[in-house]
Amino acid sequence: MRTILSGCVRFTPCLALVLLVGCGQSDPPQFTLDMVAIAEKQIPANQQQKVANILEAMFGTPDDPFVLPETGLDLAKLQMAAGPVKSDQFGHETGLYRRHCAHCHGTTGDGLGPTAMILNPYPRDYRQGKFKFKSTERPAKPTDYDLETVLRQGVQGTAMPSFALLPDAQIDALVEYVKYLSMRGQTEIGLTDAMADLSEGEELPLTHDTLVAEILAPVAESWQEAPDKIIPTDGDNAKPDMPKAESIAAGEKLFYSAKANCAKCHGWSALGDGQTNDYDDWSKAIHEAEESLASDVNTLNEAEMSAEEREALARHVALLSSALATDALPPRHAIPRNLRQGVYRGGRAPYDIYRRIYAGINGAPMPAVGPPFPGAPGTLTSDEIWNLVDYVLSLPYEPISQPPRDQRAVSRAQL
Amino acid sequence: MNPSLDQRESPWPHRLAVALVCATFPMIWIGGLVTTYGAGMAVPDWPNTYGYNLFLYPWQTWVYGPFKLFIEHGHRLFGTLVGMIAIAFLVSTWCCQRRANLRWLGAAALIGVVAQGALGGLRVLADEVQIAKIHGIVGPVFFAFTVALASITSRRWQSAKRSEERQLGAIERLGVITTLLVFLQLVLGAQLRHLSPEAPLGNFRLALFFHLAVAVALLAHVFMLAARVLYSHRQESWLARPAVGLLVMLLVQIGLGAGSWVTNYGFPVWLSRYDFAAAYVPVADGAVQAWTTTAHVALGSLILATSLMLTLRSMRLSSPLSARFAPSKPATSPSQRILSMGAGL
Ligand code: HEC
Repeated sequence: MRTILSGCVRFTPCLALVLLVGCGQSDPPQFTLDMVAIAEKQIPANQQQKVANILEAMFGTPDDPFVLPETGLDLAKLQMAAGPVKSDQFGHETGLYRRHCAHCHGTTGDGLGPTAMILNPYPRDYRQGKFKFKSTERPAKPTDYDLETVLRQGVQGTAMPSFALLPDAQIDALVEYVKYLSMRGQTEIGLTDAMADLSEGEELPLTHDTLVAEILAPVAESWQEAPDKIIPTDGDNAKPDMPKAESIAAGEKLFYSAKANCAKCHGWSALGDGQTNDYDDWSKAIHEAEESLASDVNTLNEAEMSAEEREALARHVALLSSALATDALPPRHAIPRNLRQGVYRGGRAPYDIYRRIYAGINGAPMPAVGPPFPGAPGTLTSDEIWNLVDYVLSLPYEPISQPPRDQRAVSRAQL
Repeated sequence: MNPSLDQRESPWPHRLAVALVCATFPMIWIGGLVTTYGAGMAVPDWPNTYGYNLFLYPWQTWVYGPFKLFIEHGHRLFGTLVGMIAIAFLVSTWCCQRRANLRWLGAAALIGVVAQGALGGLRVLADEVQIAKIHGIVGPVFFAFTVALASITSRRWQSAKRSEERQLGAIERLGVITTLLVFLQLVLGAQLRHLSPEAPLGNFRLALFFHLAVAVALLAHVFMLAARVLYSHRQESWLARPAVGLLVMLLVQIGLGAGSWVTNYGFPVWLSRYDFAAAYVPVADGAVQAWTTTAHVALGSLILATSLMLTLRSMRLSSPLSARFAPSKPATSPSQRILSMGAGL
């Protein structure tokens, strides 16, 4: 009797509301595929479905995550971050990603949340496994501590907030979930690449060897070896014993020199007003897709081709343009940092700046001037990088009215 | 002529209506905090709380438990208080006064509380963001309704003298438009606040664009409204006060709106040439973020209520409407009957 009654209590308003709103409960969120990449790689619908199925088998769903042991990820942490937003009487909270992150970074971690379009810079798309602010070599993954630092401190001058008020366990869970989404995204790229490489009539073998050993495992390994890729700031890379003023002067010279070429982007006054028409890797991909679309449209309009070819190309154009319209953010230029503001998104400590200059900023135009791998010769020596660190850190305090070097170098003969 | 002018009328309907206002406003705040802190699902069942009857849930767990549980369960408990006051108000309109329309408004108040409670319950049972959105819109509308009740039951309302003043028509029209605009603004605000991560790209931008556009339209309307009221009814504090209040609140509200943006998403990039903007980092779930955003929500409700109250008062004072819908003449069409509730009481 009681259950019937409570059933009625629950059901009657439900019914009334369903009638009122005109729709029932919305479907649980799903991970989505990168439609721009799929259109570019011309993956047919049945293979798209296969990619989605493989990914679901490997990683589960947003409400019910799953990981293979190869990933090294902790399912308990992922379950805390995944699923709908809930909390219980003991303060145990789940659905952290959906509550704190998904509205910008998207359910899939594709940086395509509902707010993404109006944020500048755009929220990070994790799927390529590229992260900007980290302590490791340029192409390496960030360490857990790097991600944790970004979460705790936020990113200055952007919409990325500080989550410092969250309990440690929640931050841990979110870091794990970001890695999970990133691994899932890179696995998706691996799968669609493999699909695109198949020859006519060939099928991707659904075996551990192909899917896990060849595609997932290398991605997971790159994450696991991140701690070994930290750029040391001691030993050979230790800061040279040099008077501050001398070091700053050396750094200044380097900054405007053709060798380090910092001024090319950061500008002759270091206001970040040098080259401002480059793209970061995420915008570059979309920019290139747009260009290829434009050229395809041109071909379609002008070139001679058989009806069959024409139809295939028209279909490709339609798919790519719809993917670009619904699944991509308009490309934006990467603006070099104004170094006179003392804002360092990757950390303000001298060794943070050292690593930033050494490895550049992965995914951004900011190049690496340190060695590409330990032991190799770099564009600049470690000591020179330290000089630049000192100069960069002195810039916010250097009077801006001082004319930059190059413009001062006017020879008498020119007069 | 008007039976409600009877001086011996009981003060209770008005007192209870005012109590209803006083209880509903904190509800808006608590509800706003529930959304701000993402505590909508801090109690998974409804109408029970973790299997306990709402009133029997151990108070120690409530008070000393997690903050999210505290505000969500508190929201429910406070809701029952509003419900009880609504019942008392309904009883008072049936026992202590003779205006028939007011009795129906009393019934509407109770139905409103129950419906809003059910919406809140559904939002939990279905864990559905769309319902949360509706719940968040109905709340302020109900609050505005309680303020209208308090105004209608007041002595000042009953003793109001109609005038032939031509300006009143214009005030009335502006008031209606302003109230509708505020409501629209609330609906848009709810779209910005209850985000579904699955929403298509561009929706949020569209909603934000309209939220800003309506803000500009509202500023113009409230400015005109206040100017008109002050021009023709400066002495009539019954109109002048809410008109000036509306303008002041709107200006504060625009500040809170900008503050909500900044504390949630940081400064816009065109301000980044200034060091404070370039270095700013929002703090998720910080007190500044939570209270700025929630205050923006609560002040929105207050603006809706004030705008509605000002409109009803100007209707009350202007003669053409009240002549048309005088209580002595039975209203014919349903829409006229509804209008007469506001104007002819
Ligand atoms: C090809 C253009 C380019 C060159 C050359 C370049 N930078 Fe950058 N730099 C950038 C861009 C773009 C950013 C901002 C990247 C971002 O935040 O996405 C940046 C950011 C920085 C930052 C801020 C890092 C942080 O943590 O916020 C520093 C410091 C910096 N650059 C120093 C240098 C120095 C020193 C050099 C010379 C060795 C240099 N840059 C050369 C483009 C460049």
